[in-house]
Amino acid sequence: MKFWSQLGARELDIEVKVEARHLEVDTGERRLEADFVPLPDGEVYSLLVDGKVHEVAVEDDGAFIWVTIHGQRHKVAVRHPLEKTLREVRRADAKASGEVVESPIPGLVVAIKVELGDVVPAGAAVAIVEAMKMQNELIAQQPGIVEAIHVTERQTVEAGQKLVTLRPAS
Amino acid sequence: MKRVLVANRGEIAVRVIRTLRDLGLTSIAVYSDPDRAALHVLLADEAYRLGPGLARESYLNIPRLIDVAKQAQVDAIHPGYGFLSENAEFAQAVVDAGITFIGPPPAVIAALGNKLAAREIAQQAGAPLVPGSKGALADMAEARRVATDLGYPLMLKAAAGGGGKGMRVLRSAAELDSALELVRGEAKAAFGDDSVYLERFVERPRHVEAQILADAHGNVVFLGERDCSVQRRHQKVVEETPSTLFTPEIRARFAAAACNIAKTAGYVNAGTVEFIADPKGDFYFLEVNTRLQVEHPVTELVTGLDLVAEQVKIADGQRLNLPAAAMTPRGAAVQCRIYAEDPLRNFMPSAGVIERLRLPQGPGIRTDAGVYHGFRVPMEYDPLIAKVIAWGEDRAQAIARMRRALEETVVEGVASNVGFHRWLMALPEFDRGDVHTGLLGELFSAASLAASPETEELALLAASLHAHETARSVRPVSPGGNGPADAARWKFADRLQEGR
Repeated sequence: MKFWSQLGARELDIEVKVEARHLEVDTGERRLEADFVPLPDGEVYSLLVDGKVHEVAVEDDGAFIWVTIHGQRHKVAVRHPLEKTLREVRRADAKASGEVVESPIPGLVVAIKVELGDVVPAGAAVAIVEAMKMQNELIAQQPGIVEAIHVTERQTVEAGQKLVTLRPAS
Repeated sequence: MKRVLVANRGEIAVRVIRTLRDLGLTSIAVYSDPDRAALHVLLADEAYRLGPGLARESYLNIPRLIDVAKQAQVDAIHPGYGFLSENAEFAQAVVDAGITFIGPPPAVIAALGNKLAAREIAQQAGAPLVPGSKGALADMAEARRVATDLGYPLMLKAAAGGGGKGMRVLRSAAELDSALELVRGEAKAAFGDDSVYLERFVERPRHVEAQILADAHGNVVFLGERDCSVQRRHQKVVEETPSTLFTPEIRARFAAAACNIAKTAGYVNAGTVEFIADPKGDFYFLEVNTRLQVEHPVTELVTGLDLVAEQVKIADGQRLNLPAAAMTPRGAAVQCRIYAEDPLRNFMPSAGVIERLRLPQGPGIRTDAGVYHGFRVPMEYDPLIAKVIAWGEDRAQAIARMRRALEETVVEGVASNVGFHRWLMALPEFDRGDVHTGLLGELFSAASLAASPETEELALLAASLHAHETARSVRPVSPGGNGPADAARWKFADRLQEGR
């Protein structure tokens, strides 16, 4: 099965094969292999990678897959390859017509970081949404001017709900 | 003494209840609403409700606690640490109700609870003090004069302060004016008392404390030191005994100073005399904690004592009668405090259900936990969920066991600082025993816990497996019903069963 993956700052096209208890992930550069067995209490696996013993817990919040290894949570995206294309289209779209920053997850708006009329550079946080005890900064992908703020602080939002609309910074 | 109420929650309530049961006493827990199913309630003989979750309506509610204690006809109350453990008013209310308070006399708690009064007691006892102002600073003019006499760097402290609140380091005269106003304001808000004083700031200081036991017949013993220098914003993170700074000669002077302070104060029960020490081994009195400490287990592991049992005996009026072996500590012990907090988000506390929990066991490991698998960690209280304590014949063995124990530990459902402790135990500075209270501030950042390429690959493997199995199980059903999706789902369910 082919996927498009984001790991840290890297984007990878990967191919995943699962055969009985054997997992194979081909990243193009590397071929990773593991023997796996599910453990109780949620989605938890024991993995053997080159004979080394690891334990991983997986949670899926709809937007990202969170993998806990040795008590540390790691955010990974593994999506249908079509999503890569979709995102590129959205990016191009945003450049021309402004951008709507949406909450990718259901959660609580803990802060709105912008005000109407603010000039926002690309990469700036416009809002913070707390979900699953994590505060997530939501970032403007493109520079823009704040045209509308659709939510208030302490408001609960659904996944996909509009938070802030930016119009192109001429 | 037959019936003992534990006026606390979490791991310390569990720890005290265990000893009460060991002693054949009836252990009586109290709880707030979110703690009805907490471990300390499940392990006690009896349990009574205090009130809602808010601490001031439950574990800090003195009239309510006294009412419950009277109704339950308890003979004694153990306050644990935190909450009301160092509250003289509470201790007095307990005594007034005709109940034994397992701790020092209320007047001693009151005297030592005020930093200036405590300083005076230490001075009378001939203990070394950090050079500082004679008493509370009257005004800005006096502050300036004292500061010039002492020389910078200086520490500005609130007289009623504690727990790292109400103190500030001053590097130069330029910082004095604004700091004075700030610390006064903080002290007023936090403690209702805005008196402040100045002390010389000791560079690269260690925090070393003396565990003492004193009975009501004037006997005081020193049970070794604990080095609690590894701190994060004045909060202890790791504690160990013995201190890597101490020689037998320093320890002898240290023991004498601590015992003299306890005697001068008229101290009774278990207490901790805290000092700061400079890298040469000169130490200065800091304060006395009039209660059992969070880090008491490291002392228990090297002395073989049960300090809570000793507290109970002392409160019962018995004379200290410790085995000779307790007076010559054996080996070394180190403790890591496991908090439900996220080191990557500025140690933000994390409440929620403990979805997985594997606490370490095996040679030389003790675990004191206040939670269990499936328990909801309430958002109302301190996020300390467990303490892992390792003992070894020497420091190297204790640390090796601690590293192994941390590798075994799994806490999921809430964030935890287990990964942070793993980083800390691997730190060369800690390994060498080259510690001071500013160490973490200098060395730790979120990048310290950054994922290695190997960990990133592991995360990718796990996420890919999840995505693959999810995609398989939601594949559209083909016409006719029994499609591949169902087959795949069954297959996966099958595999989960096998894993159990």
